[in-house]
Amino acid sequence: QAIASRSTGSSILVSPRQKGNPILTNLRSFAWEYSDIPADYVLGLTTCALFLSLKYHRLHPEYIYNRIKSLQGKYNLRVLLTMVDIGNHEDSLKELSKTSLVNNVTVILCWSAAEAARYLELYKSYEHANASAIRGTESKGYAEKMVDFVTVPRSINKTDAVSLVSAFGSIRAAVNARPEEIAVVGGWGEKKVKRWSAVVDEPFRVRK
Amino acid sequence: MSSANGDQQPVKLSLPLKYQQELFQELRQKDELVIIARGLGLLRLVTNLLHSYDAAGNNLILVVGADERENGWIGEALAEHAAVSMAPRARGLSVVNTDVMSVGTREKMYAQGGIFSITSRILVVDLLTSLLNPETITGLVVLHADRIVATSLEAFILRIYRQKNKVGFLKAFSDNPEPFTTGFAPLSTMIRNLFLRNVSLWPRFQVVVAQALEGKKKAEVIELEVPMSDSMRDIQNAIMECVEVSIGELKKSNTGLEMEDWNVDSALHKQFDMVVRRQLDPVWHRVSWKTKQIVNDLTVLRGMLHTLLTYDAVSFNRHLDTILAAHSPPPGSTRQNQSPWLFLDAAHTIFDTAKRRVYTGKAQGDGQDIETLRPVLEEQPKWAVLAEVLDEIDRDLYFNPVVRDDSNGTILIMCTDTAQCRQLREYLQNMHVHPAQTDEEDADDEPSGAFMMKRKLLNYLKWKKEFAKISAALFAENQKELNGTGTTKPTNNNSYRGKAPANKRRRVRGGGNAGSGPTRAANGSILASEDRPLEVATLISEIQPTGAETAQKEDIVADPLDDMEDYYQLYDMQDLLVIHAYDGDMDEHVLEEVKPRYIIMYEPDTSFVRRVEVYRSSHNDRNVRVYFMYYGGSVEEQRYLSSVRREKDAFTKLIKEKSSMSVVMTLDAHGIEDPQEAFLRTINTRIAGGGRLAATAQPPRVVVDVREFRSSLPSLLHGRSMVIVPCMLTVGDYILSPNICIERKSIKDLISSFKDGRLYNQAETMQLHYKSPMLLIEFDQNKSFTLEPFADLSGSLSSMSASNASSDLQSKLVLLTLAFPRLRIIWSSSPYQTAEIFESLKTQEPEPDPIAAVKIGLEGGQRAEDQSFNREPQDMLRIVPGVTGKNMKNLVIEMGSLKEVANATVEELEPAVGKEAGRQIHRFFNKSVLDG
Repeated sequence: QAIASRSTGSSILVSPRQKGNPILTNLRSFAWEYSDIPADYVLGLTTCALFLSLKYHRLHPEYIYNRIKSLQGKYNLRVLLTMVDIGNHEDSLKELSKTSLVNNVTVILCWSAAEAARYLELYKSYEHANASAIRGTESKGYAEKMVDFVTVPRSINKTDAVSLVSAFGSIRAAVNARPEEIAVVGGWGEKKVKRWSAVVDEPFRVRK
Repeated sequence: MSSANGDQQPVKLSLPLKYQQELFQELRQKDELVIIARGLGLLRLVTNLLHSYDAAGNNLILVVGADERENGWIGEALAEHAAVSMAPRARGLSVVNTDVMSVGTREKMYAQGGIFSITSRILVVDLLTSLLNPETITGLVVLHADRIVATSLEAFILRIYRQKNKVGFLKAFSDNPEPFTTGFAPLSTMIRNLFLRNVSLWPRFQVVVAQALEGKKKAEVIELEVPMSDSMRDIQNAIMECVEVSIGELKKSNTGLEMEDWNVDSALHKQFDMVVRRQLDPVWHRVSWKTKQIVNDLTVLRGMLHTLLTYDAVSFNRHLDTILAAHSPPPGSTRQNQSPWLFLDAAHTIFDTAKRRVYTGKAQGDGQDIETLRPVLEEQPKWAVLAEVLDEIDRDLYFNPVVRDDSNGTILIMCTDTAQCRQLREYLQNMHVHPAQTDEEDADDEPSGAFMMKRKLLNYLKWKKEFAKISAALFAENQKELNGTGTTKPTNNNSYRGKAPANKRRRVRGGGNAGSGPTRAANGSILASEDRPLEVATLISEIQPTGAETAQKEDIVADPLDDMEDYYQLYDMQDLLVIHAYDGDMDEHVLEEVKPRYIIMYEPDTSFVRRVEVYRSSHNDRNVRVYFMYYGGSVEEQRYLSSVRREKDAFTKLIKEKSSMSVVMTLDAHGIEDPQEAFLRTINTRIAGGGRLAATAQPPRVVVDVREFRSSLPSLLHGRSMVIVPCMLTVGDYILSPNICIERKSIKDLISSFKDGRLYNQAETMQLHYKSPMLLIEFDQNKSFTLEPFADLSGSLSSMSASNASSDLQSKLVLLTLAFPRLRIIWSSSPYQTAEIFESLKTQEPEPDPIAAVKIGLEGGQRAEDQSFNREPQDMLRIVPGVTGKNMKNLVIEMGSLKEVANATVEELEPAVGKEAGRQIHRFFNKSVLDG
């Protein structure tokens, strides 16, 4: 049986070792195929994943080191997809943290086969994505931004934000408002007024 | 005044009651934890104790855990004591509370000695850096002992203190017994955390306390149960129904939630939303946003229960309008994203009844045709009762002319918050002004709030018109509302200013929140200012729905300051009616200063009752009569009763536990090292290449960012006998070795820092400067150790659509690891676990160099001190459109504060951020919500 070439790229490559792993039944939104690869899953040209169940790890602690060794430094991002399926996971995870530092693997924990499958799918689907979603550059409407802005100080909620800005007309006016003026806005109790006025006036930098 | 003998010299104390003196003597003799019932004068005890040490001089005493107001109180009281007892060596209190004070100054201050109140975060750093040598400390006084848990900063401080200093005293105080009763053997745990052996319990029912307060000098109390009006009861029931449904909804989606004992009665209980939150807290990062929304709804509903009782009908309706607007769904969303309670009939009842309390008639069309409406203006039932009480007091004063005693003739009205103060003040000022054309102030008139309510209604109607526009502009859904009203007025917030406190009032010490009421003439009528009748006339002509809504009415109360001299004068204390908000321990000051003859408690408050008792018993010749008002069958009543009950239960439990508690004999801090362990650690087990066994004398060292002292991890690391070096770090939170840099994120931080892109920037700089950057994802000790969402996993999994998928935590983690393949992730189920992981990561690594760590990430010319930022204003700045991670640095350096940024012109912003970003920022701040 011919093995599909690795460069097709549209599907997740799975090592035959993983046969019978419940993850595979949960891999639904991406095509996957068996392939002869050193890793368990190949999720892109530079990304691969090893799967480890902590239950298994406890019985065969040497297994994962052999597998990592067999990767031979290939792949840029080597994910160690770890399934937490035991109760007292502390020692194992401590060890894995150390391992990840020494052996250049990135530990990702999951708690069920479905979640593991989801991680795999995500890695595959973001293969070419840029990181804008986590750079805080999402575009939002004014109202949302305004609410976000006003609700940063603790205990100020959405209702307060709307009533504040609508009372003063603009954010600038709300920033400049005196505490007494804010206090008469419905819902703005002493604590909130105090917090708001303090934050707005607080210097960005603490000067010595 | 009694005097007790201190160590060296007599000190004058101000502890008139027997239990206070007993407790004081006990405290002088031994170290212990004092738990005292609320309102029994905890702070007074503390200040007296501090003073007795202060007067002796030559000592270094630290007060831990005091908040800002307590600092103010203690400072004032100490100065007063020092003056009274003429102690030449007393030095009063020095407060160290921000980083502003430089290290040098602090060192000098510590060397001088005296009494210090220090913010825990600063204190712990100073202790660790030996700026403050623990051995020189004479003693520690811990306030709010109930907040101290094993992982808290205060516990950390105590441990350092006890490790190095075995002789200094240590006294802990709390007036909040409830937290001591939850968990397993909570009291003994707490005592261990505090390194104390004794507990002293002082509930209200303690014999000595009861004797002191229930003697001959008892305060006269008159209880008034005020029935709620029918519509209020309707609204309250409707809110309860909404709460019930919301909780039912919660139960459905969260099977683990224990709400079996839930019933409508417990909704009357103070903080049912907190109860729910606490239950959900362990799994908070896993619940669906729907659940979060419902929990938020619960908070809103609870707020409504409260405002129903406190706000007047018009303000309540207005508040509801705002709530409704804020909960209106963004355009294009489906029914599913809305809060479920809004769909209930009960919600309709709430809004409808609230409106009918204000006016009836045809539902308002576009805000213009008020003609068809008839004002109803229901008054709060308590108002009439309050007027009656005042009347009765007047008569009482008239018929039994003054039993001359030490109190002023003042009447003190206490209520929950300043908004309530304002409302009452306004009512009392206006209750004899009648909307009918009788402008004369008649003492016989039935007092009513009709005038005030009309004015409020006017303001409300105007506000409503504007608000419709604003909410339309903000939540750009119903554009047709906008079309109807045509041109928009310039920013008009005068309708709010109209209610701002008038400037004509006597200043009352104790803060700006004290609204001293109007003056009362001997006959009890309210002396309104002269120009009132005229205003009334103009107003009345306007409240008549003529439709001429265009005239300006803003200057009703707006106070031209130019006639200050005419109005500003000192009033005799006897004529004064003081309205004040409950303010914890500060109420004691109010009582002492005002010396009221009559006290009206507009709302019930347990601790204030006790304060009055203490006040009355402390003064032989001050008669006090207390009127105590509450709405029957309301949240307010239940809250009061349950708070009394809970405190009593807590004390009973504590007494039981104390009687059976095992005594901890060791005072040693458990940080004291096992010598064997210490020796083993110094041996380097790495004998690579036949090297010899080398012993390194250096204990393991971790460089920690000073901002990280908010978390419990530094304390735990210290507990594992690592040396903590606090530094101001630019890159990373913890530096374990020259190569390993760790950024710690709790789940909550993780979510928020993904959202605003902070984590991305941090990862970027860490990757730049360190060989092994690491992200520590730390779960809370009690939280469930998983990221998996609840039941709806299957649903969200199958839908891999871009919009849906990119929102959750997992996908963001994936993106992060893809962007930074060298970034390692440490998963830790608790801070304890983290400490262990750190230890294992550090083995076989060289120790980090603090100086190098501080320098990393600083650009040329920057000094480490410049890098200490205030977090909140920066978080807000980051949200502003146009601000990016890069230009934010400039902005922060160029501009001082958010206010400056908000007021800056485009030209001023340009040099810092560039033209386009400058314009965006400017637009964000200056966009008027009125223009749409």
